[in-house]
Amino acid sequence: MATETQTQNVSVNNFEQCLKCSICTVYCPVSAVTPLYPGPKQAGPDGERYRLKDKVFFDESLKMCLNCKRCEVACPNDVHIGDIIQAARIKYSTHKPSLRDMMLANTDLVGTMASPFAPIANPVLKLKPMKAVLHSVMGIDKHRTFPDYSNRKFESWFKKEAAPNQDQYSKHVSYFHGCYVNYNYPQLGKDMVKVMNAVGYGVHLLEKEKCCGVALIANGMSKQAKRQGEVNMSSMRKAIVEGHVVLTSSSTCTFTMRDEYDHLLGIDNHDVRDSISLATRFLFQLIEKGEIKLEFRKDFHKRVAYHSACHMERMGWVPYSTRLLRMIPGLEFVMLESQCCGISGTYGFKKENYERSQAIGKGLFDQINDVAPDCVATDCETCKWQIEMSTGVPVMNPISIIAEALDVEATIISNKK
Amino acid sequence: MNTVNNNNYDVIVIGGGITGAGTARDCAMRGLKVLLVERHDFSTGATGRNHGLLHSGARYAVTDHESATECIKENMILRKIARHCVEETEGLFITLPEDDLNFQSTFVQKCNDAGIRAEVIDPELARIMEPAVNPELIGAVKVPDASVDPFRLTMANVLDAKLHGADALVYHEVVDVLVEQNRVVGVKLRNNHNGETFNAYSKITINAAGIWGTLVAQMAGVKINMFPAKGSLLIFGHRVNNMVINRCRKPANADILVPDDAVCVIGTTSDRVPIETCDDMRVTPEEVELLLAEGMKLAPSLGTTRILRAYAGVRPLVASDDDPSGRSISRGIVTLDHEKRDGLAGLLTITGGKMMTYRLMAEEVTDLACEKLGVTKRCETATTPLPGSEPIEKEKKISFSQKAAAGRHGTLNRDVERGDVTSDALVCECEGVSVGEVRYAVTKLHVHNLINLRRRTRVGMGTCQGELCACRAAGVMCGDDEGAQRAINDLSGFMNERWKGQQPVAWGDNLAEAQLTAKIYQGMLGVDKLANERRVEYYEI
Amino acid sequence: MKFDVIIIGGGLSGLTAGIALAEAGKDVALVSAGQSTLHFGGGSLDLLGYDEQGNEVKNPLDAISNLNGNHPYKKIEDVSRLAGVAKKVLERAGIATAGEANHNHWRVSPIGALLPTWLSLEGMATVEDAGTMPWKRVALVNVVNFLDFPTKFLAAGLRNRGVEVDVKAFTLPELEQLRKSPTEMRSTNIAKVIETNNLIAKIANEVNDIAGGYDMVLLPAVLGIGSSETSRHLLKAIKVPANYVATLPPSVPGVRMQTLLRKRFTALGGTFFTGDQVIEGNFEGDTLKGVKTAKLDGTTLEADNFVLATGSFMSRGLVADYNHVYEPALGVDVEDLGLDRNTWSKIDVTESQPYMEMGVKTDSCLRCQRAGNTIANLYAAGSILGGHNSIKRLDSAGVDMLTALQAVNNILK
Repeated sequence: MATETQTQNVSVNNFEQCLKCSICTVYCPVSAVTPLYPGPKQAGPDGERYRLKDKVFFDESLKMCLNCKRCEVACPNDVHIGDIIQAARIKYSTHKPSLRDMMLANTDLVGTMASPFAPIANPVLKLKPMKAVLHSVMGIDKHRTFPDYSNRKFESWFKKEAAPNQDQYSKHVSYFHGCYVNYNYPQLGKDMVKVMNAVGYGVHLLEKEKCCGVALIANGMSKQAKRQGEVNMSSMRKAIVEGHVVLTSSSTCTFTMRDEYDHLLGIDNHDVRDSISLATRFLFQLIEKGEIKLEFRKDFHKRVAYHSACHMERMGWVPYSTRLLRMIPGLEFVMLESQCCGISGTYGFKKENYERSQAIGKGLFDQINDVAPDCVATDCETCKWQIEMSTGVPVMNPISIIAEALDVEATIISNKK
Repeated sequence: MNTVNNNNYDVIVIGGGITGAGTARDCAMRGLKVLLVERHDFSTGATGRNHGLLHSGARYAVTDHESATECIKENMILRKIARHCVEETEGLFITLPEDDLNFQSTFVQKCNDAGIRAEVIDPELARIMEPAVNPELIGAVKVPDASVDPFRLTMANVLDAKLHGADALVYHEVVDVLVEQNRVVGVKLRNNHNGETFNAYSKITINAAGIWGTLVAQMAGVKINMFPAKGSLLIFGHRVNNMVINRCRKPANADILVPDDAVCVIGTTSDRVPIETCDDMRVTPEEVELLLAEGMKLAPSLGTTRILRAYAGVRPLVASDDDPSGRSISRGIVTLDHEKRDGLAGLLTITGGKMMTYRLMAEEVTDLACEKLGVTKRCETATTPLPGSEPIEKEKKISFSQKAAAGRHGTLNRDVERGDVTSDALVCECEGVSVGEVRYAVTKLHVHNLINLRRRTRVGMGTCQGELCACRAAGVMCGDDEGAQRAINDLSGFMNERWKGQQPVAWGDNLAEAQLTAKIYQGMLGVDKLANERRVEYYEI
Repeated sequence: MKFDVIIIGGGLSGLTAGIALAEAGKDVALVSAGQSTLHFGGGSLDLLGYDEQGNEVKNPLDAISNLNGNHPYKKIEDVSRLAGVAKKVLERAGIATAGEANHNHWRVSPIGALLPTWLSLEGMATVEDAGTMPWKRVALVNVVNFLDFPTKFLAAGLRNRGVEVDVKAFTLPELEQLRKSPTEMRSTNIAKVIETNNLIAKIANEVNDIAGGYDMVLLPAVLGIGSSETSRHLLKAIKVPANYVATLPPSVPGVRMQTLLRKRFTALGGTFFTGDQVIEGNFEGDTLKGVKTAKLDGTTLEADNFVLATGSFMSRGLVADYNHVYEPALGVDVEDLGLDRNTWSKIDVTESQPYMEMGVKTDSCLRCQRAGNTIANLYAAGSILGGHNSIKRLDSAGVDMLTALQAVNNILK
């Protein structure tokens, strides 16, 4: 038999490597704020042993898991606790997503509908009566403000303003911009193009881009997530064949496509995974190899506090962004203690989760208020909404900070040498 | 508990294994006044140390038609009367490339002869039905095997015996059999907790002490030719398989893999051992290797699945009376009427058989006892559900631990306090044991220590083997200061008992877990510094 | 990515080394595969509690000089000095401790044992002399229904030493809310509830109602998860002397230590690679050039020196499988005790288990070996070092911190 006897312990998501040490429960942001959630150990490896016996041991309260993966980061024994919980939801949940959940989950569909009407949609979504309707009818919490929908999608801007110039570069990357950049905050995409172009890289969109699906997974629509994931993978394969690395500016999209596709959705991404990278990581690696150089404005001064987004933490990539930011001479860097902000994508938008969501993030908000930075830097867009709403401090993606600090002319010259 | 009416029993049953418990139940249901005595805890011996397999009988079909017939009949009965102890998993008999596929047709024929529904299925279908099965199989037969929890089954029999008026004493050891004029009139008992001895008298004494029955017989001055056969097994950390997997060949070592509760069990070996070693069975490294090597042939993933424990039981095999050499050993049920056999009235021995034929064994020996006592009431154990096995009314929203408890206690789960925060607090997280369940076990199920509690509730049977729950449970169970010292000693004994089963398989995550547990219990708590004696159970697995 | 020193392992040992190096001005990275065994600690740090004959140690410094030659302390140049440095390292991280290396005091274990120890976190219940208890009447005040604080054992333990003990309990609506979760009524969640809801004053009221007439109130250590501020605050607000006793894990004082040490390391400019594992070393001759991790595919972490502080089996610093014991991160040599797996352990759980003494091979400067060759720039520190049984000796924190500091000294030389 090929299997070697007892040289390794193999179980789905490593659930049987659990030593029952309970460390995960210390770092679960949810169980600290609600008694209704059984906690990561019980919902994860403990429950899994019994679910293998009988599916009656599945409990719908598992939907309270934020999927922040902080339990996995804390686990000393590499148990994929968050994956166990999400996989159990996918496998056993009989809960049907509501209209609200579908609306929140289909970030790209809603974005497509809202963008052309942005001048109308944005004020309307902010009106009290509208919020009351969303709150009571849809179950979207009234405290939430939908991120503004941009009246010009990033894709439209790109095709018109940027695409024609990209072929002049000798090196190229593809850009998975994600829903947020496309519908809500095209500026980040523009910053991305600015930075990449300055270091001599042409930027291209994928042939077809779908929402990465993170919100669909969270809202129990894994089949649709899988379909969208397959589309993304096949677009990326084409880009990779052309020698492109696929860059993103969102840690959550990156994490979903690299890890959740395989672990939760059963999408085979092994040939694509390593070519998906976060832009900060890509830049850092090139700088380290001496292939590119960033030149910064002398007059740039900013006190920046970095927040480690959950999925960034899970990917283990925080140091790429932080070391990159710390290269900016005028940047005063403060590292925030790593904590979940509580929004977790669409989770915090649901009225039943609002209070929990704010309670989870409280520690982080207090820290930010204490530090009083000019801005908070983070690699995740939903953290941005949550932190801005809860602290009033502006939040920027590291790429936007780089773009702002960058001496474009000098950088172009440096990289032409 | 100690208010035993010493003089007035119709029957004393010796041995708190499944046979003794079943016999006590049957006797009590026939209206006899019964005392059940057990020197340690219920199901300490072979009852608690087997596969937990509810044989369909298929395993014996080719070699032992009688056993096969008994098995399938009892199998169908237990599904009805012990519903909460049985999980209807079904079983497969697989043929591997190294096996003779021709055996399969003989096997199916013999199964059918014995009344066992054996259905040849396509190997591909077998792979779908049971994804853990060795994919190289070339043949598969589906049979009505199931798994059964012997701890629960024994306890349910004890509870029913008590409901029918029986007395039961645990930690009471028979230290002498009282004989007057060629008649056994009772037994001398020692309370193993305090050492006190006293006599209990009865018209009939039934020796149902398993392999230790040979020692009981000796005390009565008669000889039973028993051959202790050690069978070792391994418990894995979770269920690899959901159907029982057997090898379709003549019975051999390590050819059955049973899904039991949240784990699965591979076994067994079979080796003759001296009777003196039966109180402290240890699994040898060679046995572990053999079990693993053979187990991986049934389900290759066992090679990469965490092993929690190794344990061994002793089958009470009996040589037929006409063959003192012991060569012809019966694997069937042996009922000895010592009056006929040895001229010693008042003593019956029930032995041999299998865990799952306990009810039939009990019926046979109870029939004999009734005959001698002139009682004509017929046996009703085959049709009367055991306590806990009555049909369940559907409960809508219950918690994880309540579901787990319902699985363990059947309808008796209604007696487990719950619904308030104190009772619902979890003691054992791996197995979902609540404070309410611990209290229920302590008040209703003869729980004197943590090991008893484990047998009733699965406390400490999860993958961590008592890492935090043992201390919590001990805290819930202990009373006054004196109780605290006893509980600390108990805790120390319990941790050692858990280690005994872990030690033969201490590598990988199991070793890491053991180190963590030692760090907590010894390094942080200092249990080893406070414990001043080990309880009786120290010698048990 | 390039650093001066890379530490592998983020427990007490790794963080001690990381902080000491960062304090010395080095650019340090630390790769940590999950949280550490600090979470199972009791709020005290042991240096040497029992000698090799099993006798209680009064003066660890004296007893250390009598240890056998394999003990990791034998590779420490000046135990007394480094013990002082260790205490300072903790202090600068915001972890105030009491205790001295030349005489043990006794910590009160959650089940009422008195165990010899070196440093105790401020506020923890300790006894100077195990023979004379400093308290006459103790109120043992638990949170209602908190099972991880075994009050009956603790009370019995103290009563056996002549202390009068009453067991009390209090609750608050916020804690009642937490009680509704059968699994999550744990020390750290209680701490979070108390801290997020600012319950200190309320708790002090509850305790003060109970505390009259006692000369000591003992509470479960369920306060101060991120700093000692709240735990200190409560003790001040209680009218009679009050202290904390450790609970079953997870340990709040342990989590606090972990948090504060990490904070200190980051504040000193250290880079923390969280939840990642070193899976391979890039060796050139007798030098380790860089390490690869599970998550930073494509990036090698390079440094002049490395410290391996990944712990023992329970932290996966060592792995035992069916056939052998090995060090999984870099494949360095493991102390060969000539054992096959059947002799790794002994039958009685309280016997001295041989596996506890396994560790990586090091030279007199704590440098690791690979295939028999000493690696010039790779040092081992903490529980991954063999040659002693930390559970029998009660010396784990001392070994963790002192070997880390010694490795740092060796690197800085």
